Amino acid sequence: MEKYLYIALFAPLVSSLFAALFTTTPKKQFVGIVASLLIFTAFVSSAILLTHILGTGEIVHVELMTWMATGNLYIPFGFVVDQVSVTMMMVVSLVSTIVHIYSIGYMDHDSGFNRFFSYLSAFVFSMMILVMSDNFAGLFIGWEGVGLCSWLLIGFWFHKESATWAANEAFIMNRIADLGMLIGIFLVYWNTGTLQYDGAFAAFANLDHATLTWIGIFLFIGAMGKSAQFPLHTWLADAMEGPTPVSALIHAATMVTAGVYLVVRSHELYALIPNVGLFIASLGAFVAIFAATMALVNRDIKRVIAYSTLSQLGYMFAAAGLGAYWVALFHLMAHAFFKALLFLGGGNVMHAMNNELDPFKMGALGKTMKGTMIMMTLASVALAGIFPLAGFFSKDLILEVAFVDHHFIIYTVLLLTAGLTAFYSFRIIALIFHGEDRHTALGFHPHEAYKFMLVAMSPLLILAIIAGFTMKMPYFEMVTELLPATEYHIHSHTTYWIMTIGTQVFVLLAIFFAYKKYMCSSVKVPDGTSKMEKNFFYKLLINQYYIPYFYEEYIVKAYKALSVVFWEQIDKKIIDASVDGIANIFYNTGKNTRHMQSGNLSTMLKWMVAGTVALLSLAVVFGLAARYSGEITIILSSLGV
Amino acid sequence: MLDHILSILIFFPAFAGVMGFMINKESMRAYGTAVAVIEFALSLWLWFAFDNNVSGMQFMEHIALVPSFGINYILGVDGISLFIIIMASFFTMIGIASLSPTHSIKNMIITLLFLQMTMIGVFAALDAIVFYVFWELSLVPMLYLIGAWGGPNRIYASVKFFLYTFTGSLVMLVGMLFMAYFFYQATGVWSFAILDWYRLILPESFQLWLFAAFFVGFAIKVPMFPFHTWLPYAHGQAPTIGSVILAAVLLKMGTYAFIRFSLPLFPDASVFFMYPIAILAIIMIIYTAMVAYAQKDIKQVVAYSSVSHMGVIILGTFALNVEGISGSIFLMIAHGVVSGALFLLVGVIYDRRHTKLMSEFGGLAHVMPRYATIFGLMLMASVGMPLTINFVGEFLSLLGFYQQSHILTLLAGIAIVVGAIYMLTAFKKIFYGEVTNEENRNLPDVNKRELLALIPLSIITIWLGIYPAPVLGPINNSVESVVQLMHNKATSHEAKMRIPNVTGVVITKTTTKEAH
Repeated sequence: MEKYLYIALFAPLVSSLFAALFTTTPKKQFVGIVASLLIFTAFVSSAILLTHILGTGEIVHVELMTWMATGNLYIPFGFVVDQVSVTMMMVVSLVSTIVHIYSIGYMDHDSGFNRFFSYLSAFVFSMMILVMSDNFAGLFIGWEGVGLCSWLLIGFWFHKESATWAANEAFIMNRIADLGMLIGIFLVYWNTGTLQYDGAFAAFANLDHATLTWIGIFLFIGAMGKSAQFPLHTWLADAMEGPTPVSALIHAATMVTAGVYLVVRSHELYALIPNVGLFIASLGAFVAIFAATMALVNRDIKRVIAYSTLSQLGYMFAAAGLGAYWVALFHLMAHAFFKALLFLGGGNVMHAMNNELDPFKMGALGKTMKGTMIMMTLASVALAGIFPLAGFFSKDLILEVAFVDHHFIIYTVLLLTAGLTAFYSFRIIALIFHGEDRHTALGFHPHEAYKFMLVAMSPLLILAIIAGFTMKMPYFEMVTELLPATEYHIHSHTTYWIMTIGTQVFVLLAIFFAYKKYMCSSVKVPDGTSKMEKNFFYKLLINQYYIPYFYEEYIVKAYKALSVVFWEQIDKKIIDASVDGIANIFYNTGKNTRHMQSGNLSTMLKWMVAGTVALLSLAVVFGLAARYSGEITIILSSLGV
Repeated sequence: MLDHILSILIFFPAFAGVMGFMINKESMRAYGTAVAVIEFALSLWLWFAFDNNVSGMQFMEHIALVPSFGINYILGVDGISLFIIIMASFFTMIGIASLSPTHSIKNMIITLLFLQMTMIGVFAALDAIVFYVFWELSLVPMLYLIGAWGGPNRIYASVKFFLYTFTGSLVMLVGMLFMAYFFYQATGVWSFAILDWYRLILPESFQLWLFAAFFVGFAIKVPMFPFHTWLPYAHGQAPTIGSVILAAVLLKMGTYAFIRFSLPLFPDASVFFMYPIAILAIIMIIYTAMVAYAQKDIKQVVAYSSVSHMGVIILGTFALNVEGISGSIFLMIAHGVVSGALFLLVGVIYDRRHTKLMSEFGGLAHVMPRYATIFGLMLMASVGMPLTINFVGEFLSLLGFYQQSHILTLLAGIAIVVGAIYMLTAFKKIFYGEVTNEENRNLPDVNKRELLALIPLSIITIWLGIYPAPVLGPINNSVESVVQLMHNKATSHEAKMRIPNVTGVVITKTTTKEAH
């Protein structure tokens, strides 16, 4: 089995290096094909590992070589395939295979075609390291690696100022969180003496509560950055500057869920500190509704989907924080399928509309893009959580978890968010595909995407439909070998049915309302004159609660100004000036006293006399002081010296 | 020959430099490259012959110079100095091989060969006076390099560099003389041998003063905040090769000397001054990173980033445990490789455009993709991306210091954020966007001569990032013995607590008499 582990891990690396060979040459179709095949190989290996684990329950654990060893520290390149990591491997390799194939079509006319595949495969490799490592340092390699690839891919079109700005923002904001993660790792090392998961988790049981709390908090800060939790969330929406396949793979299905994976992986830690867990759950619920509200009014389809991702990550953290780790992981998986599908559909729309992203400028695209319409609609149904699609099984479960654990505030917030989710998802569906044709007047001539792109997307469609009712039980039985097997059942049947049906009706109403509002013929391209756009809440939401504005004005600019002050005022005018000042004292002393030795006899005689007088006076003073030393001491002591 | 390999390593380049006066100007580059290659091969042989399992000094040489005062020519290497010596010969080699055409290239190569002698001398010397001689001699070739081949403000920069570091070294010399005098008082014999000094246990009050005297010399060399202002001028005016050697090797003299002198000689004082120095290091890290962000000139960004990274090295050194000190030594190598490469990269565009202002560039990724790729790699190494060389050192340094203080490590960790800010911003300004300046439209990509230097550096950056063991292993062994020595010598209770007892390493102490 180790062979398959190495194939799953290194096939993406080979793919990346292979594509990197052609980065400076013009577009070559086979680069994309070979890369896709190699990623598919990784998927097949992951699937073999999955069947192995399902069949035997045996965990595959290998140690490749030593990475760092000094003092008592020992960090190997160790990899483990257990029930949790194999789930992640399946999600990552499956979605990335599809995204690779899709990208062959999507990046068809791009001059950076080969480079794109190199970056994309490098991302898959980093993500594999992240989920397969058996220690925190290895996790950190993957953690930073995906950050690097995210930076490269957001800024892929580096001629665009907005893209490179967003890339740097994402990297730096993640770095802030990574610092928290690093501190968490240091805490683990100095308290347990190891960074291996098994050793560290075993040692946690003997640590005091305060230390564990700090470890939990710092590791979670790391998770907050990658998973874009408030207040480090602004980068995710800006990251939509990258090509759409990137958004689908990195900023929806895989990388942003790394934070959830970290919490699930460290469940033995978080189980010991339920108060931190409750904080995670509360923050998750807050982010869920916070992001959903921003999605309500946004006029950029990719940003709407990005906010929706953010909101769903909130759901996952709510579940993980409440101790329902397997539920969080299950929603992660289901979400990866339908959200990647939604993004890829969005990519088709963007292509058709020459990169126009405002859904108000579209309308009635369903006529020309039937396949995309069906896929995106079904993905949105799955996202909204309608029976029997994937979202119903995973999202309703999270609501049940909150309800069963008597966290009714979290439950209410998440329930409201479910309604908002349904509304904003179908708002863009209605605006893009239905209603009046608004795009022809603006000079757009949309066309459906390549057939093979739609075919490539179809596995995601199937999974978005069936993942819930077919995979839930086998999945549950598998991961609960490792994760706590808490089942969440509402004891009273009446309550259960009221809740389930109530939620479904609520969501359906939200969908209906969205269709009604945005399919009517009166929808126009907003021009800033309508009553709604002058509304305070609309302004608040469209400006993302003014948080990016706040960051820009009060943090970025302040940092820049302070840097300039440090350089211009402190470094040059204080530190360096005092160094030069000291040097100048010597220089000027020499320069000014030089005149004494002018060689003029009368001047020199004058100085000689002055010197003699000074010496004599000193001699007299010292002589007197020596004679009257007793008296001087008495006088000084009476003065209190 | 192996018995005298250190002497050969030191004096071969100097001898070859003298011979160089007789070489024809046209064949000088080939001659210089050949000498540097031989020297580098010798240093590799040194590594090959080096016994990784020995923690103490190897290849020791001993020639009496002034026996009545205990001044001897003593050389030796251990895991701490070995790799810095190899790095010094490596950088001289690729520096000479990739030298861009300049005036009086013959003199420059001779200067570089002399510089190499002084660098290797500093790291191989085990006698304080010999160390001091090489330490001061290294200023002279550098003074020439900046003064003769530098930019418009080169005289000011080179004089400032010389006087500033020279002043600091004089204070250090006074400290050395006192140290030898105390040794004489305690034992009745004069000795300037560092290994003899290691055996002397000084009372804490003496240690504090001597530590301070040595500190002045080392801190200016490193350079530590607030003694760093000579560095931006020196880098700003120096030719590319001067900056490369300055950043890669000369700065390491200061941090190396902390580990060779300050820590084992004054363990109690090291613990006493740990917090103040850590605070200075944190100021270095954050403050200079912010200053770097404010720069308009790309070379100044790299220069200030050097200071910022040296802060992490100092912090790791004063972690006073094996993890931290090993990390800081590894980071010395790593910073040498990465900042050396960055200065070479800056030199590449300077050669083409004769400007280093970032506002003159933009969109270079379109015209010079290979250059952008290598710069990107070094950028990522500089910000401490895992699996690059810098990460290992930075991670271990911070990890080590975490044992001493949580909150200070948290503050120092800001390095990974502020480092990313100035580097990414600089990268964006130079490489991203459209080509706006017509002069940049047809810049040639990196040529073979430049790749000759950049490709080996790129390989090392990744190789030692993935597999640091060949370097980290010997470093670890020697550091363990240093830490054990410090633990054994520490007199105050706090120092005993702060400096861990490394089990398994036995250091025999022959002299425990206290100096009074």
